[in-house]
Amino acid sequence: MNLLKSTALACMVVACSPSATAEDVDRRLDAPATGTVSIENTAGSVTVKGWSRSEVHVTGELGSDVDELEFERDGNVTKVQVKTRRRSGRAIATDLVIRVPQNSSVRVGGVSIDIEISDVRGAQRVSTVSGDVDSEVFEADIDVETVSGDIDLRGNKKVSRVQLNSVSGDIDVRDLAGEIEISSVSGDLVVADGRWSRVSANTTSGDMDFEGELLPNGRVDVETINGDLEVFFKGKLSAEFDIETFNGTVKNCFGPKAERTSRYAPGRELRFTEGDGSSRVTIRTLNGDLSLCKD
Amino acid sequence: MNESDDRNSDAGDDAVMAAARALPKGIAPGRDLWPAIAESLADPLADSLAEPFAEVAIAPQTGLPYWQRALGVAAAVVLLVGGSSTITWLAVSGGESAVVPQQVFEPLQLQPVSGSFGAEYELGPDFMAARGSLASQLDAKLDRLSPQARAEVEKNIAEIRASIHQIDRVLADEPDNALLQELLLSAYRDELRLMRRVDGIITSVMRREDI
Repeated sequence: MNLLKSTALACMVVACSPSATAEDVDRRLDAPATGTVSIENTAGSVTVKGWSRSEVHVTGELGSDVDELEFERDGNVTKVQVKTRRRSGRAIATDLVIRVPQNSSVRVGGVSIDIEISDVRGAQRVSTVSGDVDSEVFEADIDVETVSGDIDLRGNKKVSRVQLNSVSGDIDVRDLAGEIEISSVSGDLVVADGRWSRVSANTTSGDMDFEGELLPNGRVDVETINGDLEVFFKGKLSAEFDIETFNGTVKNCFGPKAERTSRYAPGRELRFTEGDGSSRVTIRTLNGDLSLCKD
Repeated sequence: MNESDDRNSDAGDDAVMAAARALPKGIAPGRDLWPAIAESLADPLADSLAEPFAEVAIAPQTGLPYWQRALGVAAAVVLLVGGSSTITWLAVSGGESAVVPQQVFEPLQLQPVSGSFGAEYELGPDFMAARGSLASQLDAKLDRLSPQARAEVEKNIAEIRASIHQIDRVLADEPDNALLQELLLSAYRDELRLMRRVDGIITSVMRREDI
């Protein structure tokens, strides 16, 4: 009987606790059409959508252990920050949907948040430790950093500068153009259907698939220690190729075959020119195999 | 006749000498690197970080032809200049977590690398100190990550270090292999860059008081 009473009392205490329930949020602020929206959320998700209004609109659900949602404007910058106490419980996961003026720049940061961005025309700067990032890119620069989260970017072949870094997350980039710098340690990299003036890619053990067009006077630099590479050029190509691997194999459908660098070592190198050689392609691997081809 | 020839010859020599004296005493390089070098020298942090590469010791290479040694030295110079520039850039960019080599930190609990550069070269003690301090700064920050995220970072740093060991081993057999030197330097650079990047992400997303 005493046990029953104690259990009932405990249930009442938990039920009456002020932090037991999540809180809905629906707030708006006027914002400049080309300002910056800065968003910070520790855990949960952030979905950012561009719209035609000069207003930032935040909706969503705050985790029950969240202290407050700070939402304010300071000049050109509108700030959305989910604040939790230092020793708050684990229920801090907060899901937000944020509408921003479509020409805004956005900065989004978090620890364990999935981030989705669409219809935002300004620059994007995104960092998360373990969440995934999914974004649509227009003509502005984008810079994404994750530790274990995957990065997925979609574009429309408008020129931009793209900088993507992950530690173990995979990176998948499609239909972008311009300049890209992309690196991971063990994550795999896919760069597909782009039109590039400059590509710089680096992995330690991640594999890389590149499929795209290299513009005249362009440059591709790829380096990997143990990752395998598949490089496929689309469209008209005119480039000097400089390829070297210490212990990998080279398959080349352009014609020339890779040659041994030494009688006593396994290394192979391949140097040739396609067209008038206005662009330059440099590839280095330690153990990674390379497959090089064109359409 | 002879006198006249001599006079003509003297006059010609004088003209040549005058023309030679009129030549510029020095030729300015096409690209003036000195301002950047001077700036680096003026920056004590850059200086201390560039120094390790200046301390790379080149072991005597007896038995090799002169041209091979010259090529080896040239390759080493390229590596040192490139390496020190990279390390300096890595250290001085993004000042929030700049490296302070003098500071003493607990080492990151990961397998250390030797700092060796094949059988021929050795990265200097200052480089190792700078690298160690960066590792320990990261170590402190990693405590703030979830165990899974921390394990992920450590696994990947260990992966880069395994690559460094791997390249270092084969470089010991082929010390003049420029590809291996390039890849090894790149792996060292990747390790530092990764530590800085993870440090940067953690700093930026956790600078608030809420975690």
